[in-house]
Amino acid sequence: MMTHRTFLTALAGLAALSVTAAIPANAQTLDTIKQRGVLIVGSKADYKPFGFRDPSGAIVGFEPDMAKDVADKLGVELQLEPVVSSNRMQFLQQGKIDLMIATMNDTPERQKVVGIVQPDYYASGVNVMSNKKAALKKWEDVTGQKICGIQGAWYNKYVAETYGAEIVAFTGTTEAQSALLQGNCIGWVYDDTAFAGLLTEPKWADFEMALPTIKEEPWGLAVKLEELDGPWGKFMHDMLVNWHKSGRLIALEKKWGIPPSPYLQQLHDKYK
Amino acid sequence: MTTAKSTDLPVLLAVRKPEPSSSGGFRLSLWHGFVLAAALLLSVAAADAAAGPAVASIPATIWKWTPLIAQGFALNIAISFLAMAIGTVAGVPLGLAQISLLPPIRTSSWFVTQFFRNSPWLVLLFYCMLLLPFQIQIGGTTIPLPGWFKSTIGLSLPVMANVSELVRGAVLSIPYGQWEAAESLAYTRRQTLWHIILPQCVKRITPPWMNLYAILTTSTPLCAVVGVNEAMTLTGNILNAEGRTDLLIPMYLYLLTWFFLYCYPIARATLALETRFQVR
Amino acid sequence: MDLQPIWNWFRTLHDTTGINLTIFYDSFDRARFFNGFLTSVRLMAVCIICSVIIGVIGAWIQGSRLRMLRLTTQGYIQFFRNTPPLVQLYFFYFAVGAYLRVSAGNGLSTPLVSNFTWAAICLSFWAGAFNVEIFRSGIEAVPRETLEAAESLGYSRLKAYVYVILPLAFRISLPALNNNLVNLIKTTTIAYAIAVPEMLYIANQIWSDELNVPEMMNVLLLIYVGLVGVLVLIMTRLERALRVPGYMP
Repeated sequence: MMTHRTFLTALAGLAALSVTAAIPANAQTLDTIKQRGVLIVGSKADYKPFGFRDPSGAIVGFEPDMAKDVADKLGVELQLEPVVSSNRMQFLQQGKIDLMIATMNDTPERQKVVGIVQPDYYASGVNVMSNKKAALKKWEDVTGQKICGIQGAWYNKYVAETYGAEIVAFTGTTEAQSALLQGNCIGWVYDDTAFAGLLTEPKWADFEMALPTIKEEPWGLAVKLEELDGPWGKFMHDMLVNWHKSGRLIALEKKWGIPPSPYLQQLHDKYK
Repeated sequence: MTTAKSTDLPVLLAVRKPEPSSSGGFRLSLWHGFVLAAALLLSVAAADAAAGPAVASIPATIWKWTPLIAQGFALNIAISFLAMAIGTVAGVPLGLAQISLLPPIRTSSWFVTQFFRNSPWLVLLFYCMLLLPFQIQIGGTTIPLPGWFKSTIGLSLPVMANVSELVRGAVLSIPYGQWEAAESLAYTRRQTLWHIILPQCVKRITPPWMNLYAILTTSTPLCAVVGVNEAMTLTGNILNAEGRTDLLIPMYLYLLTWFFLYCYPIARATLALETRFQVR
Repeated sequence: MDLQPIWNWFRTLHDTTGINLTIFYDSFDRARFFNGFLTSVRLMAVCIICSVIIGVIGAWIQGSRLRMLRLTTQGYIQFFRNTPPLVQLYFFYFAVGAYLRVSAGNGLSTPLVSNFTWAAICLSFWAGAFNVEIFRSGIEAVPRETLEAAESLGYSRLKAYVYVILPLAFRISLPALNNNLVNLIKTTTIAYAIAVPEMLYIANQIWSDELNVPEMMNVLLLIYVGLVGVLVLIMTRLERALRVPGYMP
């Protein structure tokens, strides 16, 4: 029979364990990375061509290439961790990833939660890829209509509240695309950069991006909030300035077949 | 009147095989796997016929991605083994605590069991993924907790509760005569449980325990929803990378076939064990 | 009844302790979480009723003389029992749903079956597969003599099943049925993955917007445990009411 004493000792042991199970305080990320020899970067695995999988299972794309540049500069190995919109900030906060380059819009609300390093590295706005037959001309046309979305996107609430659309949010872009093609919704609210690439494909021939792009927000990569002014944040700031100065990002854009964006050209001219 | 085989005073009746089940007692053990595979081939052939000549054929595409799916599926199996192990190791003491003589232990373990039995598995998974820290420090060493491990913990919680119920039910189903006999031989309660009762319970627990394992395995795709890269997430990534709608049905049927070919033999083995271990 | 004081209490709770329960003090979140709760309960009710019906019909077919019918039912049971319900759901909603489209007005084609309906269908069939086995073992536990007595009284096979066997089998299988229905209630959360606006989906939206993950998780856990408790209470009452004295332990 389990005596009172044994039970209490076990309980005390568990309590002691949980007390020490705190997140470690203030280890500098840059030192940790160099010590570990591996840079862990959170990237998308379902957002072609910014982050997607090839047949061997590796994550490739515009953003993984950026991550590789950082790892090479630091002289360490690169480990890519697939993230989605609904968990990318949490992973960064928890310290599971050192750096997050995951097609994230830079907004003031997010700047309170994670450390978004300036300058931003890309830009996109919110738009809807809709079925041509739905004939959406202005944003008010989405009232009461079913619009597919991605769970965790910051503009879902905005579109639902401002224009009265019924957002049907899925866990990933694959599911949202399938639902759109099947007619479960008449449009998909997402970044216009994603649509620019998709609309060139034949299977999206019946779709269009007819609404004006709103909420143009630049994309930022992020480090932990406490590190933003520390050595790691400064390192990433320098990397970003360099990328723009050297035109590396414009070259990556061309490599992955992304239509040239005026935002990158602007920043390249600014830092030249 | 009687033939040479029978006597009018049979001493030992011939052994009779158990009655075949009312479902017809089909013999082919992988019959249904073949049905699934046939459905797969049919859909593949149909999609192949519909696709243009410039597009890679569906079987070739599926074959191309099979190593990745195998990798993901291996993770599913690993998660199921680990969650089952952790759940069983935690569940047995919890089940024994439910029949403890001390009221506080009894009530608290009953409460814990009922709580985890009645919580949805997906909610527990979210809980563990989002609220457990990413690493813990015991003494001076730091142990990292990767995402798949956290979701394994999440899955082991309901397993623990179910095992606890199984253990409690099995212990209570042992005839009371066993306890009385042990008491008359001066066994302490702990010795009775450990040497006499629990060994007899093992046989009773095994079929429902294997059933629980099958349920657990079919629940491992839930980890995909919380961001673990197992077979289901990878299937989604593959469909995204390929970008073809005619690949949807074949890919998902393919994934279903993987799970079926793993779980069905377990189900058959469980059935066989049930008849063998039947307590008369 | 003015509930504003209660909502205000939750707002002060947030201001003083930092526990952020917007589902109480924010009217937008309150409305959508309540709708999510109703959708969940609706889904659970539909699935419970349909799966019991499927179980009863399936168990009857299992006793049929036609071998093809029995084998088909067995095939259905083995398929739904040995494959993950989440993958089944994806298969039905994305793969099968892609081909079931009807044309709505203005030239668009909408799916014939909504995502709530697919979730209900898939979950009912999944739970129904287990129910068939449960009812079948319940039917087998009814002594042959009872069936023979019914036959000798001139009952047809269908009438004997409905009036004599099923009531007894139902009582015998109630504990196992209880277990399965609890599992069904817990499994309705997978409808989250196909964007059915049930509780987990709404909670996810809320914690993405308001960043209050721990509070929402705890609320969800408590509500689900409560709902299961309600079901177990109903089933226990049912068991007690249907008990045949002296017939069963």
